[in-house]
Amino acid sequence: MFYRLSGTFHTNYQADRKLWKIPADRWLVLTVFALAVLAPFLVSPLYLGSYVLPWIIWSAAALSLTLLMGMAGQLHFGFAAVMAIGAYSSIHLVRAGVPFEIALLLSGIIAAVIGAVFGAAALRVKGLYLVMATLAMQYLVDWVVVNVPWISGGAHATLRTPAVSFLFMDISSLASRYWLALAWAALITVFYLNVKRTSFGRSLVAIRDKDFAAAVIGVDPFKTKLMAFFTSSFLGGVSGAILAFCYYRAVTPEQFGFNVSIQLVAMVLVGGLGSVIGSYLGAGFVLLAPIFLTNLIAGLAASGWVPVSQNFLSHLPLVIYGAMIIGFLLFEPLGLAKIYDNIRKYFLVWPFRHARS
Amino acid sequence: MTWMRRTALSAALVAGLAVQAPAEEVKFGLLQDFTAVYTFVTGQYNQGQRDYLTLINEEGGIDGNTFTAIVRDTGNQPQRGIEAYNRAKEEGAILFDFLSTPVSAAILDQAGADARVVITPAHGRGDASDGTVFPYIFPMFATYWAQAANLVEFMKTNGGGIEGKKIAIVHIDSPFGREPLPILDALAEQEGFEYQSFPYASPGNEQSSAWSEVRRYRPDFVLIWGAGGGQAVSVRTAIQNGIAPEQIHSVIWLAETDAANVGPQMKGVKRFEATASGTELPIIQRIQEKVIATGKGSGEEANVGNSYYNLGVATMAVAVEAARLGLEGGEPLTGETLKAGFEKIAGYDAEGLMPPITITAEDHQGGGAGRISEWDGEAWVPVSDWHAAYPELVRKVIEESAAHYGEGN
Repeated sequence: MFYRLSGTFHTNYQADRKLWKIPADRWLVLTVFALAVLAPFLVSPLYLGSYVLPWIIWSAAALSLTLLMGMAGQLHFGFAAVMAIGAYSSIHLVRAGVPFEIALLLSGIIAAVIGAVFGAAALRVKGLYLVMATLAMQYLVDWVVVNVPWISGGAHATLRTPAVSFLFMDISSLASRYWLALAWAALITVFYLNVKRTSFGRSLVAIRDKDFAAAVIGVDPFKTKLMAFFTSSFLGGVSGAILAFCYYRAVTPEQFGFNVSIQLVAMVLVGGLGSVIGSYLGAGFVLLAPIFLTNLIAGLAASGWVPVSQNFLSHLPLVIYGAMIIGFLLFEPLGLAKIYDNIRKYFLVWPFRHARS
Repeated sequence: MTWMRRTALSAALVAGLAVQAPAEEVKFGLLQDFTAVYTFVTGQYNQGQRDYLTLINEEGGIDGNTFTAIVRDTGNQPQRGIEAYNRAKEEGAILFDFLSTPVSAAILDQAGADARVVITPAHGRGDASDGTVFPYIFPMFATYWAQAANLVEFMKTNGGGIEGKKIAIVHIDSPFGREPLPILDALAEQEGFEYQSFPYASPGNEQSSAWSEVRRYRPDFVLIWGAGGGQAVSVRTAIQNGIAPEQIHSVIWLAETDAANVGPQMKGVKRFEATASGTELPIIQRIQEKVIATGKGSGEEANVGNSYYNLGVATMAVAVEAARLGLEGGEPLTGETLKAGFEKIAGYDAEGLMPPITITAEDHQGGGAGRISEWDGEAWVPVSDWHAAYPELVRKVIEESAAHYGEGN
């Protein structure tokens, strides 16, 4: 009823290969995108700057990681380090006089090259062993950033981002920073949706499902795995640079620590491996649920509903948050994206339940 | 009925006009890390802060203005800190204390642009002491650089001279652990001692390799520079490696809990302190009488008088004193008037809780005084007087680093 499938026939290849075949889906995507573009006029600066902006940037980062983890099946527990490389490279490049647009690309390439070097471990090891190799990357990059004052910015290890402009638009106001981040997230999203339909995307999936079987049918595992790490690290590096310039505007090593890597993995897993909407939902959940819960519990405490000590009060949101993650994954192991998919499928044929696929 | 309401309204208006500046609720944002890295200090520190604000409210506030603490957990994550800051700012908070280096770093510039006061007592950037570069940031107490200078001076005066001696600095491998190194470089040159740094990996649960190297170095003095659980491990491993407790000197982050964790061996270990500990202080006595005894305390009574509890009390004592001075002009409290109040503080010692501090528009460190205390098996006993060590040298390092910040770092 809501999706109005009647009369929608895919009579040629072009129509059948559309990203969103059903008109209702297209309208939904367009509406969400229009709302996202208009967000600076619709929500207060508090919500734009503290909720929507970080959500968009972390969604872009989660999308970069899900390309590697979801599509190519290569686990990466050091993705925050990739973002750190992007963030630090972009700042140093802009300071050296490189225009911001080019610095963004170069920082992505630097992150991609370093990420691919560590990704080379994936050529020999799989699964948990690959997790160890990428963890090593996390700690090595952390160590280098902290111990090389030239990178971290001296005694206090804080680097402020210089004022920049992007395509003649000054990136200093909250709205302009948000739009730049949104443009990047939209670009990654379109890229990701389309890469699934290319030969590269198909070889990634083949590698994920069984790498020697892929080799038998002519997919080069060496090239494909390295390319997976290279592409994903490129996107992650640029996302790191966007995070630095559009959100934090002052970069410290702690912003890219091991716990951030785990958060990114959690975003991808809770959202649903390899799914676009899952990356958005997962990033929103991992990033914003603790904040909402903290404010909710603090509000309840202020009105006298939960009379407990501050220490317990601070840990209560974490307890609920943990229970929510377990609950979601028990309820639907394939993540939030699958829950969305189930709801969509239900309404696709509603009210004719028997017609469900 | 309308006329009644109108009369009542105008009466209220007249009554309101009679008071110079209408009494308000002054809001402080205490957005700290209760769940991640700073848990060793935050609980007691925040308890002290809130108990002191309750005490001031119980005593009638400042000119009728009462103080409210907005307390939130940030989990040491910058993005949660930014959210909590923006929200508390909207609720009207004019002073912030994050007690977290990454969160403070992420908000430094924004707070300056928003004209909100951020206090960074005993943490955060040392160069924020330069009020000309950081107008809204107030370290208030001795920075890590002033602490290191104070400890070195104590070694010099109480260890029989320092020339030709060897100091081992054993620190956590992080920007915080590295912080005293520039001032030690300058002091080593001036005083003619040598030092070597021995980093251990964060979080410091395992430090054996660092300490066996310290043993080979045969230091005359040992400086430990860490925080939380790592500190007790440092003291214990040092003693296992044949270093006498009397040789060990610590940064401010060594408290009663660490002493309990180390045990009787701890006796003789020294640390820097910015505030006195114990309950025999007038302010703490009043808190016990008016806040704790009436059941309005914000946490466990056993914590009252602990080092970190008293540090929290001292931070709010300074902030409330700044609010009092800021209100003297007759204008309501905002970020600007509170900042002006901070810069008027002169010789304030919170009734003996801390050294007298004087904050000026240039010096936001408040002089950088402190003292050394020693663990006698039961409590921290002061072994030196309140004073600032090498103030010119510390100031020079502050200004150099602040100039560096002005250039973008």
